[in-house]
Amino acid sequence: MKITLQEIREKVAKTLVVAGSTFREDKKEAYRQAIATEDNPQAKWVLETILQNAEAAEAQKSPLCDDSGIPHLVLDVGTQAVLTGEMIEAIHQGVAEGLRRLPGRPMGIMGDDTQRLDQSGGLDPDSAGVLPAPILLRKTDGDNLRLHVLMFGGGPAIRAKTLRVFHKHNAQVVLDEIVAWAKEAVAQLGCSPCTLGVGIGRSHFEASSLMLQALVEGNYARQSEMEAQITSRVNEADIGPLGLHGRHSVLATFLKVGPQRASGVRIVCLRPCCCFEPRIASVILQ
Amino acid sequence: MKDIITPISEEVASSLQIGDMVGISGYILCGRDAVLPKIVALYEKNALSELGVDLRGSVIFHTAVSPAGVGPTSSNKLEIESSIAPLSAAGVKMHLGKGAIHAETVKALDEHNAVYAVIPPVTALLGVRTLEQKVVAFPELGMEALFLLKVEQYPAIIAAAHGRSIY
Repeated sequence: MKITLQEIREKVAKTLVVAGSTFREDKKEAYRQAIATEDNPQAKWVLETILQNAEAAEAQKSPLCDDSGIPHLVLDVGTQAVLTGEMIEAIHQGVAEGLRRLPGRPMGIMGDDTQRLDQSGGLDPDSAGVLPAPILLRKTDGDNLRLHVLMFGGGPAIRAKTLRVFHKHNAQVVLDEIVAWAKEAVAQLGCSPCTLGVGIGRSHFEASSLMLQALVEGNYARQSEMEAQITSRVNEADIGPLGLHGRHSVLATFLKVGPQRASGVRIVCLRPCCCFEPRIASVILQ
Repeated sequence: MKDIITPISEEVASSLQIGDMVGISGYILCGRDAVLPKIVALYEKNALSELGVDLRGSVIFHTAVSPAGVGPTSSNKLEIESSIAPLSAAGVKMHLGKGAIHAETVKALDEHNAVYAVIPPVTALLGVRTLEQKVVAFPELGMEALFLLKVEQYPAIIAAAHGRSIY
C-alpha cells in the first residue's frame, strides 16, 4: 500500500520526538547493570539520576537534555522500494514538525556565511530552524523504507576526532590509538558515562558515516571482542560518571569497520557520545 | 542527601564538603557565557544594584533557559570560569555547572567561602522540579539572559569547597 506524504511527515515527526526523549530498552538495562555494579556512591547516584531523567523524559515526551541536538538521518532503502524527491522533502518537513513538538532548543543560526560563522546573524526563534544533516542512504533487502533519526549534541561534537592512524600492519595499534583518544575525550566531556561511536574507513567522510552506522546498529547487550576491549580499557581510567570517578566511564562501544585500502593508514572517527546518546529512534516509512 | 535552601548562609556554605550530595530548593539564578561577563562588569563598576537581584547567598546555575529546558554547560569555558572568583566576592555562594575547574578557581572559592557543585544534565527531571521562571536582566540575550528560577530539590554534588576539588 502506498504511503502518503502526510503519513511520512507524521511518522517522522513522532520518531524524532521519541529519539529526543527516550532511552531504548537495551540502554535502560545497561544503566541498571551499571548502577548495580558501581562502588562509588557519587557515581552510583549520578547513574540513578540519569535513569530517573530518562523515565521523566519518556513520560512527558520532553527532551532528555536541553541541548536537544542536531537531527542526523539514516535511510535504509530496500532494493524493491521506491524513493522520490517528494518523499525526501516530506521527511525534512517531518523533522521540522518533530523539532517543534519536542520542543528542540532554538539554536539555528541565521544569516550569510560570515554571519553563521561568527553568530552575528542571530538565532532563529523557531525550533525547526535547526536543519538536519544530509541524509545517509543505505541499500537493504526487501521493499521497505526504514528511517533512523539520531539527535547529536554539541559536547560530543567538540570532543570527537577524525584522523589517520598508521596501523603498522597490526589491528591492535589502531585499537590502542582509539583507547588513547577516548580516555582524553571522555575526561573532557563532563557528561559521562559515554557510549563510544567508532567508524574506521578510507576517508574522513567514510569514517564518519561508518561511525553513524555503528550508532544505528549498536546494541548494549551485544559487544564484539574489539568493542569490549575498548570499553574495558577506557573504564580503567577511573573517570566515572560526570568525571566524579568510578567504574563506569563508558557503558559500551559501537564500532564499525568498513572496507579498507592497501595502505599503511586507516581513517578513524571517534565520537564520545554523552550519557544520553545515541538518542535514536527508527521507523518503517513504507 | 543534604537539603540546601536559598539564600545560602555563611554557616551553611562553611558546612559543605566535597562529595556531599545535595538537593537545592528556592530561587536560583541562571546564566552562562553571554551574561556572566556583563554581571562581572557591573560588579567591577560597583553597579550591581542595576541587576535588580541580590547576589548575596545566591546560586548561579551555568545554563541557558530555552523551550527545551535547562541543563548545565561546561563551567570551565573561559567566560564562565572567569566569573566564578568575582561573583563569589560579590556574594554568590554556589556556582552550579559541570566539568573540572582550575586550581586557582578552587582557591578563589575558598577565599570567599563559596562552593562549586556539579549537576547532572537531567533536563526532564529539572523541568519537573522547576516551579517558576522569569528573566531578570539582559532580556536581549534571549535564552542566555539572566533568569531567576524557583526550584525544588535540584540534585547536585559539591565538587570544590574549602580549597579542595573532587577532580
